[in-house]
Amino acid sequence: MKKKPTLGIYGFTGCAGCQLSLLDCEDELIDLFSAADIKVFYEAMSNNDDEALVDIALVEGSINTNKQLDELKEIREKAKVLVAFGSCANHGCVQAMALGDGKWEQRFKQVYGDAKFTVAIPREAQPIHKFVKVDAFIPGCPPSKIQMLRAITQLLFGNKPTYTNSPVCLECKFRENECLLNDGKLCLGPLTMGGCTAPCPTHNTPCIGCWGIIEEANHIAELKLLKEKGFKTEEIIRRFRMFGGSEIVEKIEKLLEVAK
Amino acid sequence: MKYEYKKGPELYTPIMMRIISKRDLTPDVRFFQIVPKEEFKHLDLDYKPGQFMMLSLFGSGEAPFSISSSPTRKGIFEFAIRKTGKITNKIFELKDGDQLGLRGPFGNGFPIEKMLGKDIVIVAGGLGAAPLRSLLLYILDNRELFGRLIYLYGAKNPQEMLYRPDFFEMLESDQLELYLTVDKGNEGFEDKIEEGMVTHLFKYVNDIDPKNTIACVCGPPVMYKFVVNEILKYNLEKHNILVNLERRMKCGTGKCGHCIIDYRYTCIDGPVFTYWDVIHMRELI
Amino acid sequence: MRVLKLSKKDENKLYDVLIKFGEVWAPVPKGSRYVFDKIEKKEDLIMYNEFIRTILPIKKFLMPQELNILNFKPSKYEKPKVDIPTRVIVGVPPCEIHALNILDKFYTTDFVDNYYMERREKVIIIGKSSLPDEYLFSHKTNTSIVEEGYDLFFIDLGDYYLVWVGSEKGDDIVRLGSDIFSEDVPVDVAKDFVAYREKRRKAFTKDIDLEGVTDLMELMYDADFWDEFGEKCLSCGQCTMVCPTCTCFNVIDEIELNKDEGHRRRYWDSCMFKDYSLVAGQHNFRESRAERLKLWYTHKLKAFIGHFGSPSCVGCGRCIITCPVDINVETVVEKLKG
Repeated sequence: MKKKPTLGIYGFTGCAGCQLSLLDCEDELIDLFSAADIKVFYEAMSNNDDEALVDIALVEGSINTNKQLDELKEIREKAKVLVAFGSCANHGCVQAMALGDGKWEQRFKQVYGDAKFTVAIPREAQPIHKFVKVDAFIPGCPPSKIQMLRAITQLLFGNKPTYTNSPVCLECKFRENECLLNDGKLCLGPLTMGGCTAPCPTHNTPCIGCWGIIEEANHIAELKLLKEKGFKTEEIIRRFRMFGGSEIVEKIEKLLEVAK
Repeated sequence: MKYEYKKGPELYTPIMMRIISKRDLTPDVRFFQIVPKEEFKHLDLDYKPGQFMMLSLFGSGEAPFSISSSPTRKGIFEFAIRKTGKITNKIFELKDGDQLGLRGPFGNGFPIEKMLGKDIVIVAGGLGAAPLRSLLLYILDNRELFGRLIYLYGAKNPQEMLYRPDFFEMLESDQLELYLTVDKGNEGFEDKIEEGMVTHLFKYVNDIDPKNTIACVCGPPVMYKFVVNEILKYNLEKHNILVNLERRMKCGTGKCGHCIIDYRYTCIDGPVFTYWDVIHMRELI
Repeated sequence: MRVLKLSKKDENKLYDVLIKFGEVWAPVPKGSRYVFDKIEKKEDLIMYNEFIRTILPIKKFLMPQELNILNFKPSKYEKPKVDIPTRVIVGVPPCEIHALNILDKFYTTDFVDNYYMERREKVIIIGKSSLPDEYLFSHKTNTSIVEEGYDLFFIDLGDYYLVWVGSEKGDDIVRLGSDIFSEDVPVDVAKDFVAYREKRRKAFTKDIDLEGVTDLMELMYDADFWDEFGEKCLSCGQCTMVCPTCTCFNVIDEIELNKDEGHRRRYWDSCMFKDYSLVAGQHNFRESRAERLKLWYTHKLKAFIGHFGSPSCVGCGRCIITCPVDINVETVVEKLKG
């Protein structure tokens, strides 16, 4: 019999919702445990083998402390394929919404005062690709069951999961929704990685971009459009930033310039 | 009702093939020979040089590959496949006896009937030698049906040259006028391979009868313009300059849309186009 | 062609006739728009007076948004056996029937696409004429009047509908519903009919001059406005989803976790997406948004003529009301005309 691929599921800063949505699969979870030799999965197991070398490492969460950073680097060394699992690991998610504004220390002091940290020295939240090579990714906040299981199946099969590289709008139209932008709502569908099956717009709630920015996102055009619709620059930028993580940081200057 | 609801053959269901042999042509290009899994089935599976097949790998998907073998050598289908992505990575993991799906052939292929009796100039760049091998073998197997055969082949370096031993052997042959070149680094092969772009080999292409010559070109996208410009200098008729193109394809039947160029689908109206098409369709080369 | 009459007082009996032939689908409201949906109760079948532009066109019945085309195991690919229900689609406007005729041509030319055909033969089209709204411009694309492609076609003439029988299936319907479809169509109906046609013709207000656009697409290929549109385009792909003649699809293989089986899925793709023309080795034949927009409009306004003899825009106006940044047939033609 062919040896089962080994799998490690690790978590850093985040809500642990990605791991939870994996646990939430229930029926398929049995298949996962029989398809892979799971070495680490703190959220689900008590006998974790931290030292194990793994074929695939699913890493959830952003990096918020120096200790996490060291651990991430260790995981990288132990894993053949390192997968950024969910929005925190991929982009930084909400904890990185103010990334790169230069006020992190100030904010930190506001919350923690002069507290001294000895074990895990805090740092500004960053996605994992800022520190280590990421071989594949699973998007989502949290990932959708179907897409996540498909991606993990591909990974166990030895493939890099591929996605449609299309925005939320594709599936939003599949479900025959009216375009919320045309309805005057601040919808980030065109800027956001699809695969979620567009549940929010389907329930008449604008997309907030939780799956992260799609490669072809045209923020400038969306900014201009939203301004035309009467939204204020600050609000638009705030929404862009909410799940925009590290990618939006590179665009902010240009966006502010355009907004003027 | 104007159109009958007439179903056609099941074009999208692959038949199963198995690999009977493979060898590396270059560090990232591997040559595969495949036959139908059930040997006495699909004996009618015929094709033309220049056509392509859709190969399916269990769980990884499907992609188009041009056929490298010649229909004159029946029964075995040959492909030269470069490792570039998900599907080809998986193809490289296959062992002899492993199975894969096949649909096709698709595409127009080279207009063999029109080429009979003509002098043929073939210009290949890099992996372009894969589909052109089908044509080359076809002509060599029916040598008396064609006029002169001139073959120019350019690769990045000698290691990247497909079928290098075969070509070296052919250099000795009186059946064709063969010239090889590499962009850089012909050390050790100076007597057989020149240095410079493939366009630079046109100095050997002389005494061309413009009314009686057909040129066939296949190579990387950047190559076409330069090569076609060289060929135009010989005053060949525009419909006699043929280019074999690559595009994204998902169906092979002109339905998925990805291979569209203006009003032509590469998978039906191509992959072999004439220079006349090139003039009319901006995005072609 | 056979023409009958359906009195409006019998309209509420139509559902009972149609349901004998299959599921009944018709436009139902969704937000400020409409969608073709399954009608479960006879009172929900409404023949709207005004022009109804559903969010998605009827292509969703013939080539669904997502479709499982193959099941596979390591040593076998097999077409799944599916039971496709017969669907009677009520209230299809003329321009959409033209689009259907284009799809019929497209899916049967060169190769027949069986997935389309299997669904096409299970669809019964009940067309309906109505007065245009401010976005419909089918009079400019020669698709405002339909002569073929429907099974039945309804024209509202006040107290009654004139019902054109366009196919055998249509004939079966009126025969089965002989108590509501009347053969008593007196000659003076023609007067009402002509008056309706004239009223409808005059009601078109959208003025998009498509004359000479084919040549202009060629001449304006390098015009700056393409780049301006490219900068504006959100690459959301909505235009291609809502266009009744857009057919592009992508194909992806999926395997089941812990099982040696999987399936091949076909789903709508859009030429507005970056990966549309991407080939192995990461070479992209249409890297920029402007190039991709040009491809779409070339295909709609020029290329389709080369392939099938007529442009593939049927003037339904969906791109006009759908594109959030107003890149549509109207604004593109405006720029082409300078």
